[in-house]
Amino acid sequence: MSAVPAIELKGITKTFGDVIANQDIDLSVYRGEILSILGENGSGKTTLMNMISGIYYPDSGHIFIDGEEVLIRSPKDAFQYKIGMIHQHFKLIDVFTATENIVLGLTDGRYDLAAYEKRVQEICDRYGFNLDPKKKIYDMSVSEKQTVEIIKVLFRGADILILDEPTAVLTPQETDRLFDVLRHMRDDGKAIIIITHKLHEVLSLSDRVSVLCKGRYVGTVVTKETDEMKLTEMMVGAKVDLNIHRSDPVNPTPRLIVNGLNCKNEDGIPVLKNISFTAMSGEILGIAGIAGSGQRELLESIAGLQQLESGEISYMNPASGETEDLRNKSPRRIRELGVRLSFVPEDRLGMGLVGNMGIIDNMMLRSYETGRGFFLNRTAPASLADQIISDLQVVTPDAKTPVRRLSGGNVQKVLVGREIASAPTVLMVAYPVRGLDINSSFTIYRLLNEQKEKGVSVIFVGEDLDVLIELCDRILVLSSGSISGIVDPRSTADEKSLKEQIGLLMTKKVEDAPATAANVKAAEAAEAVEAPETGKEETERE
Amino acid sequence: MSEVKKPKNVREPLFHLAKRDNLSGKKALLIRLSAIAVGILITCIFGFLIVGWTPLDILQTLIDGTFGTSNRRWDLMEKTAILLCISLAVTPAFRMRFWNIGAEGQTLVACLVSGACMLKIGDKVPNPLLLLIMLVASVAAGALWALIPAIFKAFWNTNETLFTLMMNYVAAQITSYYVYIWSVPKGSGHVGIINSTTKAGWLVSIGDKPYLLTILIVAVMTVISYIYLNHCKHGYEISVVGESEKTARYIGINVKKVILRTMIISGAICGLTGFLIVSGADHTFIKDSVGGLGFTAIMVSWLAKFNPLAMTFFAFLIAFLGKGSNEITTLTGLDSSFANIVTGLVIFCVIGCEFFINYTIRFRKKETPAAEKPVAPAKTDEPEAETETTEKEAQS
Amino acid sequence: MKKFVAMLLSLVMVLALTACGSGKKDSEGSEEYKNIKVGLICLHNEQSTYDLNFINAMKDACKQLGIPESRMIIVTGIDESNACYEAAKDLVDRGCNIIFADSFGHEDFMIQAAKEFPKVQFCHATGTKAHTEGLPNYHNAFASIYEGRYAAGVAAGLKLNEMIESGKITADKAVMGYVGAYTYAEVISGYTSFYLGAKSVCPSVTMKVQFTGSWYDETAEKEAAEKLMNSGCVLISQHADSMGAPTACEKAGVPDVSYNGSTVSSCPNTFIVSSRINWAPYYIYAINCVKDGKDIAKDWTGGFAEGSVELSEINEKAAAAGTKEKIDAVVADLKAGKIKVFATDTFTVKGAAITSYMADIDSDKDYTGDTEVIKDGYFHESEFRSAPAFDLQIDGIELLNSAF
Repeated sequence: MSAVPAIELKGITKTFGDVIANQDIDLSVYRGEILSILGENGSGKTTLMNMISGIYYPDSGHIFIDGEEVLIRSPKDAFQYKIGMIHQHFKLIDVFTATENIVLGLTDGRYDLAAYEKRVQEICDRYGFNLDPKKKIYDMSVSEKQTVEIIKVLFRGADILILDEPTAVLTPQETDRLFDVLRHMRDDGKAIIIITHKLHEVLSLSDRVSVLCKGRYVGTVVTKETDEMKLTEMMVGAKVDLNIHRSDPVNPTPRLIVNGLNCKNEDGIPVLKNISFTAMSGEILGIAGIAGSGQRELLESIAGLQQLESGEISYMNPASGETEDLRNKSPRRIRELGVRLSFVPEDRLGMGLVGNMGIIDNMMLRSYETGRGFFLNRTAPASLADQIISDLQVVTPDAKTPVRRLSGGNVQKVLVGREIASAPTVLMVAYPVRGLDINSSFTIYRLLNEQKEKGVSVIFVGEDLDVLIELCDRILVLSSGSISGIVDPRSTADEKSLKEQIGLLMTKKVEDAPATAANVKAAEAAEAVEAPETGKEETERE
Repeated sequence: MSEVKKPKNVREPLFHLAKRDNLSGKKALLIRLSAIAVGILITCIFGFLIVGWTPLDILQTLIDGTFGTSNRRWDLMEKTAILLCISLAVTPAFRMRFWNIGAEGQTLVACLVSGACMLKIGDKVPNPLLLLIMLVASVAAGALWALIPAIFKAFWNTNETLFTLMMNYVAAQITSYYVYIWSVPKGSGHVGIINSTTKAGWLVSIGDKPYLLTILIVAVMTVISYIYLNHCKHGYEISVVGESEKTARYIGINVKKVILRTMIISGAICGLTGFLIVSGADHTFIKDSVGGLGFTAIMVSWLAKFNPLAMTFFAFLIAFLGKGSNEITTLTGLDSSFANIVTGLVIFCVIGCEFFINYTIRFRKKETPAAEKPVAPAKTDEPEAETETTEKEAQS
Repeated sequence: MKKFVAMLLSLVMVLALTACGSGKKDSEGSEEYKNIKVGLICLHNEQSTYDLNFINAMKDACKQLGIPESRMIIVTGIDESNACYEAAKDLVDRGCNIIFADSFGHEDFMIQAAKEFPKVQFCHATGTKAHTEGLPNYHNAFASIYEGRYAAGVAAGLKLNEMIESGKITADKAVMGYVGAYTYAEVISGYTSFYLGAKSVCPSVTMKVQFTGSWYDETAEKEAAEKLMNSGCVLISQHADSMGAPTACEKAGVPDVSYNGSTVSSCPNTFIVSSRINWAPYYIYAINCVKDGKDIAKDWTGGFAEGSVELSEINEKAAAAGTKEKIDAVVADLKAGKIKVFATDTFTVKGAAITSYMADIDSDKDYTGDTEVIKDGYFHESEFRSAPAFDLQIDGIELLNSAF
């Protein structure tokens, strides 16, 4: 560690209208260290990093590189100071190879692809990346794409790297591999800033942690001298109970039986293959999997939003005791059948809510048709909106403020609140705590548990395995559109091995054999068994 | 932090932009009004430079040209009404994010159909029945013209902008064809006033005000549109489909049905406008019967943020500017495009001011300790100086 | 911020208020015409050569009579729709006592206004309805432009003769091309007179006509001219208002007889001569009638004698030798009545000479012929109404399209 910080920020402030994104932030990172920036969503981490990388310009404050004050007015300036940022969303051209993407936009020298490929390979070897420079982006997994993004900034000579939530899209195994690479780079003398809100990652990777809370700088601690509780307290500003409560299911009966579901996407590629499972009343069924493994399509199939190739979806109506076939029925038709199915989709403002409408009008989404006549009745939605605002402590100027102006947590409270308000018998939620702060997340967990205890069959699609393991009664693992296993999270007390097991199932290849109930059982049985092919290299790396 | 000395070789940029989050409606209205004022002031300066008139003369002429005589006032009202009616027509589609730029053609076919009814059955049926037939036929024609692209959009997701645009040309050519076929005298390419002696198919005058009925009809349509869009289930569905088709599907709205229904309504109001143009004022049809109003209406609808009540104001503003500046061209012998330039200037200012509603410009602060203070977190008003500079920016 | 807005708004309001107070006087100009205020309604603005011709004539007439610009109001860009009626009403409001309109499609709206304001004189150029409407204050006017076209046709015929003599073409290849707007009598009369003029000096000439369906469509006119040249026409003339045909001719090096004024500046190598209507004589006549309290003629037709029909300077570079002398002689004969353009012994229809023809003089939607126009061995053009009525398809002229 050198004496002069690679980057030092002093008194950085940035506001957006009335919103203060960053206020008076001091921060420094040295060469040869990994600094974690920890903070909840909306605490201003990304804004701060965007100012270092030249996307925003601070309202006030100073930035020093190697002790000299600099002005970073554009990403070009940032690049001059050898600052490279890897964003959450990749900016790659699908039909180009890794190398082509990496050298895209370079203006110096002549275009010699072979030489570039060689240099890319050198970088890979040096830091331990596993990447074929000639591979096309469309053939790559998410983690490979991320690798391309990282090499892109290294190729340009960056020695200050900023990674914005790099692990959000990775499996546990991929995360470990990324961390290995980052450690290599640190040892190579680079300054690395990693933005995250996952505590265990902070603890396992970084040398120091700077914590932001609501746009303010809380403090910096050395990782070795802290623990999860302390960090959480800094991050949230109060002591938080990090345990999720889980009760045993009472009297579970089959509520939703899915059998042999097959579904193709717009391009005709199968996205769901022989999915069969039963969701029980009074339980939370977790669904785990790498992003894009068919979670969305599965929930949408049940909600009547996907055209199915084959399969059956049967709903056991607890009121009448009758079985309804939901296959290929529109959401409206399903509602008319008396099926009380609620769905909190992953895309909250793009699907579950209308961003430009107020809470009242968003409440109406589910109920505007009720009542005769041509005109809208806003009385009932208005009182529901008020109720949700007060029950779930939604922070909003009023019930008419467009929901897109609300913070992520409040948006989710509005959405979940509405879906629960219709007294569902099946409640499907997709990534309900993504982007939410700890308090809001726990509010959501509490609501889900309440529903479960009311006898609702809850289907929970999650990405954080810790949460899935703590919250769910059963965890169904999807891999490339197939069920690769169903795990009982209560089975072992050892969370780490459970996580590993799920992680392996997430990447496991499932034979295209018709999935019958027996098949699923077999998959369940396979849980304990050693990981097949795809898992191998991961195990080798361990 | 003020103990840090600014390095000499680096300078803070002169100004940078900052996004405003939540400007109060009142303030936004003030900004918009001043934009119009700025636009008119620029017009005055512009006019002074070109014809040497004082701003006073120009303002006087603008007002005199629009309000100077009873005829001018009625003409202004009629122009406003027709423009407003087409604006109302495009609005449901726009709220649905269906970019119907085919109002021109949808209105023109309705003009053609209205005129055809007057020509072909004008002497065969009693006048009230003829008017009813004309109304129904024009509305149907407009709706059909809008429905065709809507069907393609709903079922095959074709690009509605191009499709509706192309339909304009088809309408213009068909109209040209019939203008030729029915021209009087033969081959002249002019139909001329239809039924000038019998006045069959002419919209009745209330009192001796020939345009009053048209104006009243459009006023009623404005209120109906407002209620339909904001307080009816249909209007709500339109908004949801417009905001997000995914949401619409998620709650079980039949998106295709809404697209088709809304475009039929959009086209039908265009049809009504066509009827009002032919029956209420022109009593004939030519290729230019709509005269580009179908496109101006798009602007009106946007400026008013798809709010029918606000559209009344913008339709009036555009009619006022057009007619008023025409007066200037008449008196000065300027090219008649001057009117377009004036309208363009003012609209440019109005659209440009949206930038200042969304953003504010922060100038480099003076090197005083007080100015280095971070912006106060409380929801205080913007500092006076700051917004004033933004306005000045609008002028230049 | 608020202060600024308030300042701005009050500034505008103050300006607006004071604006209402001031006014302008219009009392200058010659004493004789001090009670005359003239209005002119134009379809387009000065960019259109057609409208420019009217605007220039009006300015010229007012200048000659000493009517100041403040009492000459020209409104441009008035569609052939209700806008024309509104414009006419507005001109009445401004105190005009005589109002002219320049486009054929304005006629019905002028009549509508004439009925409403009987004290104001409405004069419409190129219209056909004055003699049937029977309104004392509504009048039509035209010029015997067919005579001008006949003379221009003579120049074209001489050019063809020159080409034949020089061996450039053979006599049977003497084909002219004509770009017409509509298949309307005004156009038919125009191209027929042009053809007959050419034929009077070059007996073997034939002609092809291509219509564009528009009075002003630069692209269509250009394409029509090109099409005609490609089908063997060695000389082009036109009756449409853009520069499309003349420029196409200049580009191809094909001689051109143009219309509405000389195009020699843009077409120095191919322009031969041009005929045009000068409206100033009519304007002077009509304004004087108002001044003197006399009736304006229901249908007024001016010719070479009145100065209503004019030929441009001949472009010696393109025209055949001796053209000027020949044309001067023809114009003198036309003035003297020695040449009747539509003399029945100069043309045939379907191989037969015409001895009787009922022309559609009274406009109605049934297009029925109502007036015998062949007397004394010639077609009496522009006598029963000012606008041309000759719509016979004579032999030697081939219509390439007739959809318009």
